[in-house]
Amino acid sequence: MKWAYIGAIFVGVYFLLPLYILFLLAFNTPQYTILARYPSFAPISLTLANLASSLQGSSFIDPLVKSLETATLVGIITVILAIPAGYGLSRLPRGVAYPILVLLLVTNMMPAIVIGIPIAVEFIKLHLFETVEGLSLAQTLITLPLATFILQGTFSSIPVDLENQARIDGAGLLRRLFSVLLPLAAPGIAAAFLISWMFSWDEFTYAILLIPFHSTLPVTIYSDVTRGNLLAGVAFSLVFTLPVIALTLALQKYLRGEYLAGGIKG
Amino acid sequence: MKLTPFLLVLPAVGYIVAFSFFPTIDAVYLSFQDPHGGLSLHNYQELSYFNVGGAIVDTVLVTVGALLIQLALGFLVASVLSREFRGKKALSTAAIIPMGVATVVAAITFSFIFQTSGGYANTVVHSILGTNVNWYQSSLSSLLVVMIADSWKNTPIVSLILLAGMSSIPRELYYSAAIDGAGPVRRFIHVTLPNLRSFIGVALILRGVQEFNIFALPLILVGDHPPLLTTLVYNLYTTTFPEVGLALAAATVLLGFILVFMGVVIKLTGGRTT
Repeated sequence: MKWAYIGAIFVGVYFLLPLYILFLLAFNTPQYTILARYPSFAPISLTLANLASSLQGSSFIDPLVKSLETATLVGIITVILAIPAGYGLSRLPRGVAYPILVLLLVTNMMPAIVIGIPIAVEFIKLHLFETVEGLSLAQTLITLPLATFILQGTFSSIPVDLENQARIDGAGLLRRLFSVLLPLAAPGIAAAFLISWMFSWDEFTYAILLIPFHSTLPVTIYSDVTRGNLLAGVAFSLVFTLPVIALTLALQKYLRGEYLAGGIKG
Repeated sequence: MKLTPFLLVLPAVGYIVAFSFFPTIDAVYLSFQDPHGGLSLHNYQELSYFNVGGAIVDTVLVTVGALLIQLALGFLVASVLSREFRGKKALSTAAIIPMGVATVVAAITFSFIFQTSGGYANTVVHSILGTNVNWYQSSLSSLLVVMIADSWKNTPIVSLILLAGMSSIPRELYYSAAIDGAGPVRRFIHVTLPNLRSFIGVALILRGVQEFNIFALPLILVGDHPPLLTTLVYNLYTTTFPEVGLALAAATVLLGFILVFMGVVIKLTGGRTT
């Protein structure tokens, strides 16, 4: 029993310490953090001045809006494609649905940097380069297989009898979808949307390849830091992180190993 | 079998194939094209001037190192969380938080921790040993920084998978092993590990593929020195654009490694047998 506590303390410190350091960087005066030879772990001189001065620049609003737009658009495209796919897969025999799911997951493993370069070259011709729409189309590649998988599970858990009853009552596919299936699948759809939103919010590779100049927040943070604008990078990081941590905690019950493991095993 | 379910699945599959397969094939094909439009190994020969060998070695090192750290920590987290104790809920919440922290943010935080002059890791090292460490002195230590930062961000997902596996092992197996006189270590080796084989396989495939692709984290922590395959591809892409042949050749090498890795892991862990 004693070992469990020692392990628990180690694990807790390991996961929380870097976040605490991010907090120190954001709220301590720079002499005690980035300018100190040996920065202190104590919150000596808490101030809001760092955040205020970094967030005042307008360079922050535009990327934030782009990130919000992209993540929302990715969520919408993903759900629109994944709802019919998830439903269709849940009504196909396992022997057919399984290879299709594997195909989707395998393509998910293709390196973004391999796919991103030809797409960038193509997008320049199509005038989709440097646009939120273009980036969203690419990022959907990452989220669609996952969302399809979640929704396949969701629709599978809805009894076929329920649907058959509606069919006997004369409801067509669309009618059944809107009055029976979608309301019952709502929690799964919400989870699929939020997970897609989160993945897009965090995505960096496609963002830096497809929208390099006036980009989303991750790329802006990266360029701030490489230009030596460290405090701004930290301040934006904080703004960038808080909503997603809140979402992660809200989604905790959906982020389960069983789902991920089941995805590969079929 | 009815046709409707197929038609419903078609748009999603079509989307993925169009946006993923075709660009990949395009990338591989273009990587074999020389500047005059003929097919040759020209780009691959050029690559040797850009330390592609070093990038391959570094990528394999980071992948293997990060996977080992994540498996070890993942087992620690999962075995702690599979017990009952006070504060378990708080700990499982803490253990999932890094999943919500963006890779870019994790990279920046760790770059402040491992700053050469000042930096929180050196605060600790200095107070214990009285000296400083230059974390970026050798390429191996730079890569270690990358592995540690990556493991912080990605251990939670490995822990979740291993925890799911551990809770699927029947308790009786442990009891009978304990009655036969097996200690904690032997129980781990003879009961936990064999039963977790497919779960470890899933974790390795999921993380391993991502590890080969690791990009934002090393770009921020070490730039392209030492180069990984991904940072090399990016570096070649931004410096040689619009002649993207070299970048695509390096990308094709990366793709090859991922395919080989997936094959090996599927073979070792017994694939889909459960």
